[in-house]
Amino acid sequence: MSQQQPILAAKRRRQLHPFFFRMGPVALSMCSVLLICLMAVLYLSQLGQAVTANQQIQQFHRQQATLQREDQDLLYTIAQEKSPTYIAEHAKSMGLVPADPTTVKILVVPHLQPVQNR
Amino acid sequence: MNTELRRARKRQMFIFLLVCLGTVVLLARLYYWQVLQSQSGYKLAQLANNEHIQNVILDAPRGLIYDIQGRILASNVVRDDVYVEPLQFTVDHPDNTQSELAALISTLHQVLPKVSIEKLQSAFASGLPTARIAVGIDPSQSQQLRELQLEDVFLEPRTWRIYPGGTLAAQILGYVTQNDTNNHGNYGIEGQYDALLEGKPGSFTAVTDLQGNPLDVGATNEQPALSGANLTLTINSTIQYMVESALADAVKQLEADSGSVIVINARTGAVVAMAGEPTFDPNHYGQYATQQGCLGTEEVYFNPALYCAYEPGSTMKAATMAAALDQGLITPDTTFNDPGCMTFSDAPMVCNWQLRAYGTESMTQVLIHSANVGAAHVAHDILGADRFYPYLPRFGFGQPTGIDGPEATGSYLSPAEQGWTISDLTRQAFGQSILVTPIQLAMAYQAIANGGVMMHPYLVAQINKNGQVESTQPGVERRVISAHAAHLLTEMLTQAALLGTAQLALVPGYSVAAKTGTATTQGLSADQTEASVAGFIPASNPVFVILVKLDRPKKTIYGSTAAAPLWKTIAQQLMWYYKVPPDQQQ
Repeated sequence: MSQQQPILAAKRRRQLHPFFFRMGPVALSMCSVLLICLMAVLYLSQLGQAVTANQQIQQFHRQQATLQREDQDLLYTIAQEKSPTYIAEHAKSMGLVPADPTTVKILVVPHLQPVQNR
Repeated sequence: MNTELRRARKRQMFIFLLVCLGTVVLLARLYYWQVLQSQSGYKLAQLANNEHIQNVILDAPRGLIYDIQGRILASNVVRDDVYVEPLQFTVDHPDNTQSELAALISTLHQVLPKVSIEKLQSAFASGLPTARIAVGIDPSQSQQLRELQLEDVFLEPRTWRIYPGGTLAAQILGYVTQNDTNNHGNYGIEGQYDALLEGKPGSFTAVTDLQGNPLDVGATNEQPALSGANLTLTINSTIQYMVESALADAVKQLEADSGSVIVINARTGAVVAMAGEPTFDPNHYGQYATQQGCLGTEEVYFNPALYCAYEPGSTMKAATMAAALDQGLITPDTTFNDPGCMTFSDAPMVCNWQLRAYGTESMTQVLIHSANVGAAHVAHDILGADRFYPYLPRFGFGQPTGIDGPEATGSYLSPAEQGWTISDLTRQAFGQSILVTPIQLAMAYQAIANGGVMMHPYLVAQINKNGQVESTQPGVERRVISAHAAHLLTEMLTQAALLGTAQLALVPGYSVAAKTGTATTQGLSADQTEASVAGFIPASNPVFVILVKLDRPKKTIYGSTAAAPLWKTIAQQLMWYYKVPPDQQQ
């Protein structure tokens, strides 16, 4: 029995070591600190990337708002220029005059059926 | 224990007690902040959250309004409001405040000339955190201010409702009142469909940085804004413009007080154009607050075609004839003796215009001559109250048409009501003692044009709720008269237009079925008329129903001379625009 006790103690000590090599308490502490540092660096790196990405997103949001605004302005300009009021005013400014009904000659095409439900 | 050791023990105890005391103080303070303060309404947590959590309300874009051809009638644009920060300015410029303020005011005034220097000085003198100095500035001015990057000046974008056509279809559309908190549709389609058009605002909650930029790394909660439904109207902008221009010209030329025109698809009941004069510009609606329409009875924002009830005069004779034809009591050739004035045993005498006597005349000739006596004879001697009155509600008089939007109902006295006399019957037969709206009368003629079947009038052809499209299908309101009666009446109205008072409404190449009306109002002089023409074209296969009404024209006061030329102009343009083939040799 007295011969087996040191062997058990050694076995237990070996079980405490996570790796195949033996580490003393100082080395283990340093490794832990290094590991925590590494994780902190990784976290900060991820956070930095997220913040950068967020800034890009904000930039895109601003661009989107600007483009939407320009789109609305263009839509308004097109709507204005397609408006009969605008077209008539420009036609008049170009010297055109409204058609005189008395000058229009209507040609009657025989057997042409009126268009239904217009 | 020696003395040194005892002293050391005492020192240790003292330090221990100090540490304990410090710990107790810290715990007490911690309890105060974490428990006592935290429980008193979570003020600290709320204040902390306010520092870095932003909750923004996202405005829902108001739905657009299109005409039937996809042209935009109502749209939105974003324009900036300009704010200054007077309080921050004094903090930023403790020295030389006056000189720097003068320079800033001068720069702002150069970019925004409409904002006076006095107003700018007053804004900066207010000492407020923020003061608005301009609303909805031009994009070029916004650009200039952005480039200048002025301190203590910032721009706040705001969405504005805008109408590219200006006054085009203004009384159909209505307008939107816009303030800092919300937009609200008033009158017309904007008012009627406000709930659909305004959409559903969204919200955005996020952790922000010092500049207020949302940080996606924090908690974010976004409810996207749901834009309002887009509406497509049955209105054709080109026709609407043509009708409005022609009406404005006629009102001006004839020195009329006001007027209205309706163009309706004879088969579907869809409103193709609906114009009123005077009208307003919904982009600057505030400038028209004191103007009146409907002969001074309503604000100019109301649509006169739906709101202005009037005595229709002789255009009503078509309804009287329709009632008698439908019941088989007369034919177009039924004759009677027209002495110019007719006395009734139980009603006051009825006379024709200028007391003209036509002798023996047919029912068609009653319409050709627009004889009041003939119409009163049909209502009193042939129909009687029992057979006349059921046709008034059938034609839609005295009740709303159900068109999209609020409307007046008009009114008339019937035998069931107190105050009714037989005189009401004889007068209603030729359009007096009854108030109808232009849309009611137009729909009555639509029923005649459509073989006796009245359709449901409508203005909105389609509603697009973010991709979910609802189209309005033409719907039958009711059969008013038989197809045979409608056919006979159409022939009578065609003769009335061809040989009677509506000759100036005739369009070369097309058959026209129309009736003029010259209504006077009791209590006013005889030259204060409401001149109108109602009818449809081509009579052989009706495509459009047109109603023209001019209120109190001065140059000429009759429907036959004042309203008929305008009816012809509109009808002719419609035939050309829609390429409707002529049905007659010229």
